[in-house]
Amino acid sequence: MAQSVEIGEIRLPVAEAFRISLENIRRRFTRVAITTASVTLGIAFFVSLMMMASFQAAAGGAGIQPYMYWLLFISLLVCGVGITNSMLIAVAERYKEIGTYKCLGALDRHILEMFLMEALLVGGIGGLTGYLVGLVAALVYAIANPGVGIANAVRAMISGNPSIPLGNLMPASVALFALGVGIAVLLSLIATLYPAYYAAKLNPAEALRYEI
Amino acid sequence: MALRYEYTVETEDLAKYYKMGAYIVKALDGVNVKIRRGEYVSIMGPSGAGKTTLFNMIGGLDRPTRGRVYIDEVDISKLDAYELAWLRARKIGYVFQTFNLIPVLTAIENVMLPMIFAGVRREERIRKARELLERVGLGDRLYHRPTELSGGQQQRVAIARALANDPAIILADEPTGNLDLQTGLEIINLLRQLNKEKMVTVVTATHDLKMIDVSDRIIYLRDGRVERIETRAEIAVEAEEA
Repeated sequence: MAQSVEIGEIRLPVAEAFRISLENIRRRFTRVAITTASVTLGIAFFVSLMMMASFQAAAGGAGIQPYMYWLLFISLLVCGVGITNSMLIAVAERYKEIGTYKCLGALDRHILEMFLMEALLVGGIGGLTGYLVGLVAALVYAIANPGVGIANAVRAMISGNPSIPLGNLMPASVALFALGVGIAVLLSLIATLYPAYYAAKLNPAEALRYEI
Repeated sequence: MALRYEYTVETEDLAKYYKMGAYIVKALDGVNVKIRRGEYVSIMGPSGAGKTTLFNMIGGLDRPTRGRVYIDEVDISKLDAYELAWLRARKIGYVFQTFNLIPVLTAIENVMLPMIFAGVRREERIRKARELLERVGLGDRLYHRPTELSGGQQQRVAIARALANDPAIILADEPTGNLDLQTGLEIINLLRQLNKEKMVTVVTATHDLKMIDVSDRIIYLRDGRVERIETRAEIAVEAEEA
């Protein structure tokens, strides 16, 4: 038998992967919203805790304590497990779809790319909303507490704070924004790595056989 | 150049065994078939005869336990993951019982998908997808999502998608299994027309007796082996005798 085949290129441009992920998020809004909410809560907790502590510091209080980092670490861990869980469900409900993509020529890394792209978007949106929720919560706390007050809160936000990472480079509110969104994206990507890898490695014949 | 290959599909002593606990299930056990370019072949047989397993082997979706599959004279067991993906994208068009459209994408986006993987330019993708959807009678449904289409319409989109990269072969696994009688007949006729028009080889795994009328040959599978192969002439004679 002649082995005379010219194998060409197989590709999935990033723009197309992005578009497909965006459609996935739009069309499966409820599930994605729940995943995003998990990110939002984790980041909101992080941002509000840091802000409240820096408000207190501005009002002459104790400020950021080391135990808070432990608290934040645990809360983000819980958040990460939640994302992993919900991404595993997302993979399970798309077994057949993944099989179909592979039939149409998708490589393992294209499947990986699509899920990670989704994680990136979920992380980005979750980080953004988480920051806003945390900010509002911290401001409500400042207003409700006569001992802190809005004046101290604003002063803490616009000035640097060396006890926050990046806080000596920029105002505390900006540093917390960068940290919040950064952590959210990183967390979402790490948590999705295993589910996405699992999806990418699925055997197409088995994935197609799967009935939901 | 395109007519270089006499056989689009050829299998040699093809076998697939599955381990089920202590038992070994022989889904396919030494299947030899040759399918000519441009032929319309139906694979028939009872449930569990190995139709879907044969479909998966020919489609490069699963690896055989023993034996060889040649698509356009290329031994696909020798291909790596990248080459196999290329083969699936360019040489094979798949049609499924459950249509398997990507639910979040519109009809035209579904048809464009294989062309994205094959690296076709965007303008050309749109032109070709539109042309194919018009050909299968869905020129007015380009921007509908699968949930907004009937079963028959979804299967038409799937057929258009299968043809997107001008494959050598269309593999259809029970393409009429989820359709009513009339719609099923329309899908069968469409496959047959496209088979003649585009000289694309069509292989269907089916229970559907309506498929007999349009098939050039029918391969009967039983217990993982080829029981008999009938050509259309023989079927016609049988029908007269009956």
